[in-house]
Amino acid sequence: MHRRAGFASSGLFAALLALVLTALSPVALATSSASPSPAAAAAAPKGVPIVLGVIPDPTGQRTKWSGDLINVNLDLNGAVLDAGASTVTVNGEQITLSTPASLVYLAPANPTLQMLWNDPKFAKGEFTFEISLVSEKGAPLQIYDAANNKVVDKYSWTFKSAGEASGGSLINFDVMKTWFWYIAAGSIVTVELTIISIALACLFALFGSLGRLSKKMTFKQAWDRYQSREYMFRMVLGRIPYWIATFYTSLFRGTPLLLQIFVIYQGAPEVIKAFGLPDTYNPPAFWSGVAALSLNYGAYLTEVFRAGIQAVPKGQNEAAWAIGLSGWQTQRRIVLPQALKIVIPAVGNDFIALIKDTSLVSVITVEELLRRAQLAGSASLNNFSTLLVAAAFYWALTIFFSFWQAKLETRMARDKAREKEKGKK
Amino acid sequence: MAKSTSTPSYDSEGRELIVKVEGLQKYFGKNHVLKGIDLEVFKGEVVVLIGPSGSGKSTFLRCLNFLEDPTTGEIGIGGVHVTCGSRGGGFKRAVHEIRMKCGMVFQEFNLFPHKDVTENVTEGPILVKREKKEAAIKKAQALLTKVGLAERMDYFPSQLSGGQKQRVAIARAMAMDPVLMLFDEPTSALDPELIGEVLKVMKDLAAQGMTMIVVSHEMGFSREAADRVVYMDDGYFIEQGPPSEVFFHPQDDRTKRFLRHILPEKEPEHAKELGIVAVDQELPDPDAVPLQGPAGDALNEDNLADTAIPKIPLSDGPMGEAPLPPGDEKL
Repeated sequence: MHRRAGFASSGLFAALLALVLTALSPVALATSSASPSPAAAAAAPKGVPIVLGVIPDPTGQRTKWSGDLINVNLDLNGAVLDAGASTVTVNGEQITLSTPASLVYLAPANPTLQMLWNDPKFAKGEFTFEISLVSEKGAPLQIYDAANNKVVDKYSWTFKSAGEASGGSLINFDVMKTWFWYIAAGSIVTVELTIISIALACLFALFGSLGRLSKKMTFKQAWDRYQSREYMFRMVLGRIPYWIATFYTSLFRGTPLLLQIFVIYQGAPEVIKAFGLPDTYNPPAFWSGVAALSLNYGAYLTEVFRAGIQAVPKGQNEAAWAIGLSGWQTQRRIVLPQALKIVIPAVGNDFIALIKDTSLVSVITVEELLRRAQLAGSASLNNFSTLLVAAAFYWALTIFFSFWQAKLETRMARDKAREKEKGKK
Repeated sequence: MAKSTSTPSYDSEGRELIVKVEGLQKYFGKNHVLKGIDLEVFKGEVVVLIGPSGSGKSTFLRCLNFLEDPTTGEIGIGGVHVTCGSRGGGFKRAVHEIRMKCGMVFQEFNLFPHKDVTENVTEGPILVKREKKEAAIKKAQALLTKVGLAERMDYFPSQLSGGQKQRVAIARAMAMDPVLMLFDEPTSALDPELIGEVLKVMKDLAAQGMTMIVVSHEMGFSREAADRVVYMDDGYFIEQGPPSEVFFHPQDDRTKRFLRHILPEKEPEHAKELGIVAVDQELPDPDAVPLQGPAGDALNEDNLADTAIPKIPLSDGPMGEAPLPPGDEKL
């Protein structure tokens, strides 16, 4: 008994808790590497964008460039940028971009001006880039050069390329290497989503299953037996949890998870507006995702828990009642602990499934694994490589958690084996 | 409707009335299982219920502490009185009080597998009677010593034999200080060599003056410990009296027929004395479900007498006019 509790708290549980705690602010990780130094932000006049980093990066480790992508990572510092009107010159010659320059947000507070060019003949040699920014009103914007601590009209840098990066190949290890840690940080959000959602889902499922099991007899049976209006009235009140639980499981098992995510994220502000509340409210994407995932999985787990409770022999209830335990005491002290043991494999199974279903919340801008892989894919123009990285992470996560699930189940099986052996005395 | 009566009745010997049941009836849907049962049990009395399978013995016992909800009738136990069939205000409260006054021992033990022996015994006193944990454990220790399991206190039920489990179950029921103990076939699920240890504990209890109602076909126990044996059939109490009367001088035909089956198996010596010929040593327990389905198909008239026991009660002869099992109708 104690050994089992110790195992749960010290090993898996502590590790997961630590994971959640370290990762509770997913945004912090993404921005920390590129956040402006306070000195630079202080030195830059208001409204002058600060350059935080560039690609191709003259200071970094990479020496190859495929001539396709130019990124300028900015702290807008209050400026409003017309990205499409901004221009770039290479070696003094204004180039024609394959798509208009645009601002992408690789992390929420981390806008990057992205310019796609696609001219491989420039892949080798020394390049001097010069960008000029234009404000929304059409006026040229000054730029703060943090490295040299001065305000300039045009920001320029030089990159010496050793040749074409392997941008053309399908599986691009350079792209994978470049974006690896960016995508890796998304896996923390994925794990967070999974653990918080499964915990809430179990809570919903507990109440849902008790509601589903609260129906003892039909109205007709009760009327035939007691013929009492007062009893029937109390029975109607007592039936409400059953109705709520039935409605809940029916609704959330009967509609697609993706739709539920959209309804909660996009529908909620409209509902709030309809009730006359401040219409500036936007639900946080992360918690909208948690709500949708936990409600959906809670509905499925409700049926799992119900089956688990029903699998506890009826004699256990009777023995508890016979020594005077109340209905609630019987559930809490006798039935639920035994039901828990029965449902653990099924819950573990749903946990593994949930890890992968968290990818659905990428559609509401939650930056978990898949979303980050997509962003990295569009930034690097090699979706296949970045998606492969994400796939590897999902796979690794499921293997990791399956391992613990198997371990947990083995413990259960071992107990059963012991029971069998000793039962024969 | 429930009311507590503070004035207990007494019998001629001045013993307190513990159980008073009047007109108890129970339906399962349209199935009429108990057809009006009256019973009075006085303090210290041991009543043994016998009867064929399906006669309502277990149902009657389970009605007494409301594990089954009786359809109509009156039940009074230890001064708590309940009129069944309605759900008036005090019903739940009265049922709770009655359950606290009854200890129940089940055929399948129903120990809590996730709790060790001590926790099994102290669960009721701590949760229901709000006893202090130390006091409850001390009491559990005393009770477990009584049933001979003092050194098994930290074992889990899965580590005990059937007989040990049943003795823990008896200790668990006794921990609530009941005025009445109900035993629902306490030895039926036990291997033959383990029955004795459970019966011994029950005899000890009876000797200490515990009021008991026992559903059991253990003749030895009945003869030694029972004050009264009740033969039950088809939802009625057919016959009751001291064990020697009911077992060896039954008045009713149905009792005779039933005992003709059960005596040779349980009490071969007495059966011989009474001139009851063993019907067949291979007879399954009368409580066994009649064979049906594929097993029945395999039967023919030649080996029918050896293997299949159709529904009891039988007609006059030991095996005469027995209805054929379903599979044999076409033969």
